[in-house]
Amino acid sequence: MTKSRFIVVLAGNANVGKSVIFNHLTGLHQHIGNWPGKTVEKAEGTLHFRGHTIDIIDLPGIYSLSTFSIEELVSREYIAVETPDVVINVVDASVLERNLFFTLQLMELETPMVVALNQVDMAKKKGIEINYKKLEKTLGVPVIPTVATRGTGVYELLQKSVETIEKGGEKPHQMKYGDEIEKRIEGLSEIVKKVHYPYPARWTAIKLLEKDEQVEREIREIDPEILSAAEKSAREIEDIHGHSCSTVITSERYEIAGCIAREVQHIAPPIKPPMRERLHALTTHKIFGYPIMAIALLAIFSSIFAFGDYTSGLLGDLLYGLEPIFESIFGAEIVGKLIWGGVMEGIIAGVTIALPYIIPFYLILYFLEDSGYLSRIAFLLDNVMHKIGLHGKAFIPVMLSLGCNVPGCLGCRIMETERERLLTAFVVTLVPCAATTVIVLGLVGTFVGVQWALALYIINLLIIFLLGRLAFKALPGEPTALIMEMHDYRVPHLQTVLKQTWFRLMEFIKMAFPLIIVGSLLIKLADVTDLLNPIASVLSPMTVTWLGLPAITGIALIFGVLRKELTLIMLATLLGTADFAHVPNFDFGPVQMIVFALVTMLYIPCIATIAALVREFGWKKALFITVFEIVFAILVGGIAFRLLILAQ
Amino acid sequence: MELRLTDLRDGESGIITSIKIGHRRAHREHGRAGRRWGFRRRLEDMGLTPGTRVTVVKSAPFRGPLEVHARGSRLAIGRRMAERIFVEVKR
Ligand SMILES: Nc1nc2c(ncn2[C@@H]2O[C@H](COP(=O)(O)OP(=O)(O)OP(=O)(O)O)[C@@H](O)[C@H]2O)c(=O)[nH]1
Ligand SMILES: [Mg+2]
Repeated sequence: MTKSRFIVVLAGNANVGKSVIFNHLTGLHQHIGNWPGKTVEKAEGTLHFRGHTIDIIDLPGIYSLSTFSIEELVSREYIAVETPDVVINVVDASVLERNLFFTLQLMELETPMVVALNQVDMAKKKGIEINYKKLEKTLGVPVIPTVATRGTGVYELLQKSVETIEKGGEKPHQMKYGDEIEKRIEGLSEIVKKVHYPYPARWTAIKLLEKDEQVEREIREIDPEILSAAEKSAREIEDIHGHSCSTVITSERYEIAGCIAREVQHIAPPIKPPMRERLHALTTHKIFGYPIMAIALLAIFSSIFAFGDYTSGLLGDLLYGLEPIFESIFGAEIVGKLIWGGVMEGIIAGVTIALPYIIPFYLILYFLEDSGYLSRIAFLLDNVMHKIGLHGKAFIPVMLSLGCNVPGCLGCRIMETERERLLTAFVVTLVPCAATTVIVLGLVGTFVGVQWALALYIINLLIIFLLGRLAFKALPGEPTALIMEMHDYRVPHLQTVLKQTWFRLMEFIKMAFPLIIVGSLLIKLADVTDLLNPIASVLSPMTVTWLGLPAITGIALIFGVLRKELTLIMLATLLGTADFAHVPNFDFGPVQMIVFALVTMLYIPCIATIAALVREFGWKKALFITVFEIVFAILVGGIAFRLLILAQ
Repeated sequence: MELRLTDLRDGESGIITSIKIGHRRAHREHGRAGRRWGFRRRLEDMGLTPGTRVTVVKSAPFRGPLEVHARGSRLAIGRRMAERIFVEVKR
């Protein structure tokens, strides 16, 4: 034994129980972040076992090791290039064939493996018995049956993994394809072996035959002749089978997986359709599915926002109660103002936005995802979401952002490809959140009329459709389409859901709070140094000339960056009254109110949303969306102003 | 007879003969058609390879996605993609 620190990764299809096992193993010693430069989540944890320190990594759920999603790329790169000491392949025993298809691909990466045959309880309920000893013999890797939610078998799994490492980490067997393919794989891997490439030669040969884009690109740089040899072999296979070579290889892999599955499992399906099947039929029913969904979503939505609103107010009152204390310590001069108005108010904005909305949001998102209802919602709403260039799954982030854009942005993760994620986030930031509603109703609804408030919403909706479609056309890449597994309904594992919520919240706080505090400090600094009025006059060509608004609205709009309600609150503070319609020497009629509300609706996602965007997509894209929306809002506002004047 | 997956009645099943989405050659010659190439891969990775038996359980209303069973798992497939999956059915 030379080293005592090991890396173990958990890999497998989506929703098989990796995170439940991960949480069992690591307890509270974990950290959730992103893979460097990618919008893919990386959960890492540490544990000590028999004198070894073991780092555990929970890989995202994937169905294959191709290049369709970023998750797949990240996973295969990690396993092949970073060479963990052992891969625990978590397998859903109730859908054995499809899970083994992935197992076979992992075996091709030639890393030592242990299979966790999870959810054997669910399999049993479906009448599936699996002879795991036989499976072990066929695959040539250790197989441990587990029920992760109860912790059954998790200890044995760890024990077996460490044993596998201690024994020196045997490479798994390689399954053989048909002779005509096998011959060509061997020929190719002989050539690949001669060059230096981080992936195993046999795997590379197979991927070349499958025309894997990344492998092709990288091999072309090393030796383009290998590529032409591969193309020749692939063409020969295509001629034999009459299908493209990647189809042939995938088919064969599934044939092998199917054979193994049939050999090791015995199925005796229950006679009466079980509860979860009936629940599935009901919740995806052509007619009843929709009212059920409407009720469920309404309940979720209103409970998040009732809770959010209440706690937000409570926390706000509580924290604002600290003001006199701060004043007595730091005084009411510049320093005191900066500390209170800059730092503390930033923190308050963060706390009152983030905590009350994000906590219930995460809880409910996990609940929806783990139980399986999320995929049913996506199924029912797929065609609606296609109208804005997205697919069914995007409905959830879009719906959530009606309350607050922050959870909406964070929820974009449920989309598969980077492109879909970015498109969804873009749409999400255009959705009017609760704060925007306060402004639209409080200003336009009160002073101009409810029908105008409604009209603003309809305009917003049209803009979402239009920009959504445009962005969909403009952003290069695969068109969006739904291909999704609808796994059986299950009761989510509460402990895992709670832990995941907690760690993600911590990460959000670490990421967002500095940004929020710096932003609010800057605005406050401008305030105490009397820069606001000069700024307002600098902005006046935009506010006064183009938008037709009074100059001080520029200040209000700047404050709205912190949180959108502040535009209205600041306006009231600056004017000394909330009765906007009757301020002397202040030209703020119905037209101005509508334009002001419209600009507020569309411009800049607030700073917490920007922080969420940065966290998910990095600075560049966050900045791009922000700048685009500011420019767009101003453009639309100015056009609206001219149209309204004409109509008057 | 050979039909599109979307032409199957609820509850009917067939054997996949081909998936006509973005052929590799089209991909090279005119990029656009090939953009969907990834989706054929995806469908195959989920188990919808030629020769596989699929059962259409139902489809969501208003030309929504299809619910199908294949290889012991339940999948939802967008309609536009399902239209390009061809199956052999006995009728
Ligand atoms: N009945 C039963 N349910 C399980 C078992 N293991 C996991 N689950 C449930 O399966 C669901 C998904 O589990 P996760 O651990 O989140 O799955 P995952 O593999 O991490 O999924 P992704 O992160 O989406 O790839 C949860 O609702 C769990 O409660 C098990 O052994 N038996
Ligand atoms: Mg997980």
